[in-house]
Amino acid sequence: MRRVTLTAIAVLPLIRMTVIAEPVSIQLEGGAFRVAGWNPPRAEPSKGWPSVFAVYVGSGDVPPLSGSYAVEKGALVFHPRFPFAPGVQYRAVFHPPGAAAPVQKIFDGPPREVSPAARVEQVYPSADVLPSNQLRLYIVFSGPMSRGEAGTRIHVRDDKGKALVGVFLPGEELWDPGFRRLTMTFDPGRIKRGLVSNESIGPPIVEGMHYTLEIDGDWPDARGVRMVEGFRKAYRGGPAQRNPPDPAQWKVTAPKAGTSAAVAVDFPTPMNYALLQRMIEVSGPGGKVAGSVAIGKQESEWLLTPQSPWRAGDYKLIVDTGLEDLAGNRIGQPFDVDVFDRVTQRITTRTVSLPFAVR
Amino acid sequence: MKRKRVLIRVAAGLCFAAALAYTVVADSTSATASLTSGKAQLMSAGALAFGPDGVLFVGDSVGGAVVALDTKDSAAPRSAVNINVQGVDAKLAALAGVTADQIMVNDVKVNPISKNVYLSASRGRGPDAMPLIARVNASGDVSLLSLDNIPHSSVSLTDAPAASPAGTNPRQNQRMSTITDMNYVNGNVMVAGLSNEEWSSALRSIPFPFKTASLGATLQIWHSSHGRYETQSPVRTFVPYTIQGQQYVLAAYTCTPLVKIPVSDLKPGAKVKGVTIADLGAGNQPLDMVPYKKNGHDFILVANTSFGVVKLKADNLETYKPIDSPTVTDVAGVPYDSISSVKNVQHLAQLDNTSAVVLTGKGPVNIQTIALP
Repeated sequence: MRRVTLTAIAVLPLIRMTVIAEPVSIQLEGGAFRVAGWNPPRAEPSKGWPSVFAVYVGSGDVPPLSGSYAVEKGALVFHPRFPFAPGVQYRAVFHPPGAAAPVQKIFDGPPREVSPAARVEQVYPSADVLPSNQLRLYIVFSGPMSRGEAGTRIHVRDDKGKALVGVFLPGEELWDPGFRRLTMTFDPGRIKRGLVSNESIGPPIVEGMHYTLEIDGDWPDARGVRMVEGFRKAYRGGPAQRNPPDPAQWKVTAPKAGTSAAVAVDFPTPMNYALLQRMIEVSGPGGKVAGSVAIGKQESEWLLTPQSPWRAGDYKLIVDTGLEDLAGNRIGQPFDVDVFDRVTQRITTRTVSLPFAVR
Repeated sequence: MKRKRVLIRVAAGLCFAAALAYTVVADSTSATASLTSGKAQLMSAGALAFGPDGVLFVGDSVGGAVVALDTKDSAAPRSAVNINVQGVDAKLAALAGVTADQIMVNDVKVNPISKNVYLSASRGRGPDAMPLIARVNASGDVSLLSLDNIPHSSVSLTDAPAASPAGTNPRQNQRMSTITDMNYVNGNVMVAGLSNEEWSSALRSIPFPFKTASLGATLQIWHSSHGRYETQSPVRTFVPYTIQGQQYVLAAYTCTPLVKIPVSDLKPGAKVKGVTIADLGAGNQPLDMVPYKKNGHDFILVANTSFGVVKLKADNLETYKPIDSPTVTDVAGVPYDSISSVKNVQHLAQLDNTSAVVLTGKGPVNIQTIALP
């Protein structure tokens, strides 16, 4: 990705060159600044090449651009360490030794993009009801976004439109590598039973209450351009989800042999969207079954469509016990374990299996 | 800092060698001897920690690695360091060829030998952001470390997936662990992280010099409340600390409590419960902690996301009973004072026994020395 960016910038034309002094000139060639018409000494000056030639961003009193110097074909050349950035003005200044006036040229970087393109594609959980101990929220954007904005661009309002504070963990944005999916964590201090915040303020989501999630359209994408539009989604608070997911209660619908229909797994309650993508697999007579995963029924259904038609035989779902429901309960382990509750079962294996047959 | 080193040495003798069987205690050779010169492959620059001999550890969350860099910055300062740089974001932007709004400072640490301040930052705010490691010297000069030819080594933090994806859905590679804090403790780099998917997380202890075959030991950190509920609790920030000769880490959980954990409990694969010593309340996360001693008393300076800077009175920390039930007030445990003289602190790092460095503001961003209150 970075290589692509560098290449793109190298071929983008830099425009508007303003010559302030002559006859020595400063040229931009292949992403490097060259002092033409001046024969540099063989050895670097005692105060370094930057004392003779430097490139600055903007017009203020700032350090020069980071980069390296070389004498190439008899000319002093400055290679910037970083690619040119959109909307930035670069000021190249050459101080001819012995001359009073410097030679200066100003270059504009590539133009900024201005057309909005990004929007919120989906928010998970996609259901309209959130358990009062909902742990995380995934916001999926159609394109890469800028980080450092979530604290001011995401709002949760009550049924009177009042913005609620302290809903999410402050100062924390967890992005995927492509900056398209943002994970927000509800303040776990308010969710965890027994903590000051939980006891004194209560959970961020209250059963029976109505909420609206709002995402500002002003949120800049990775190019710095606002989104096409904002986003709103209504939620209602539901009861807390305290029991960990139990695979024994899942319903597996087996496909027929010779077809490429999906094997379907239905859960009694919605599960963590992100973890569903990678924490269940299917193994059969031919080993691991390759195919495409889909999540349906508001994260209450997992489907695997095989690449090749099913062969008759015995199969099994292999489920990572790290799979969480909406409240962070893992298989065999609640989010907050009640150590007085003797029925709590601790599962120590990393996976559990659910057999099914294809006939 | 001298005090901290002494404490760590004491701990090395009393606790670590016995308790951490997996610990590789640093030998007498230079820590930089294991580093090899060349281009350091950093995909991002986040949490920072200093090791011995000016070695800087950089948390690379995008690359899933910790990278050790030889800063070659091991000369002690000639006089007391007093830094005041206004608009450090604009200076970084000028060096990196962007506008100041495209600079995000991710962490700040002080080289314990030279007292120069090191910053990790991002050039850009999206997926193509480039990592920056910057140095601010006593004169306030800001420069970028060149990573093209620097003695370095790295260790990957990438775990094999517990269950590899069943399908071919192109959106299955969205998992990322963010390194939230690091500390070098007696030959080990301790790494705390948060996943953008699963809640559970581990505190990792990686022997340095790095060995490619070893990811280090991991352990689960739990938190109990009311003596009844237990929750697996990711660590947001932590700092080594000694109480009555015993080595602890003071850790701030994402669910707000500040806890102490004996290092002797940090054994590979262990399920460790921290003892809550303070619960600062809702809507806040501790960002950085600096323990220090002043006028014969122990204090911990804590920078927070919402509560500003607070000074915990940490005398006789061993006598505090763990908080096992909430109080009617919003804060509980160790008493503290709010420090109103510094505001909008984004990062806090210890400079020496009497001063710290704070990075304040979100634009312009300033960095300055403050006296420990």
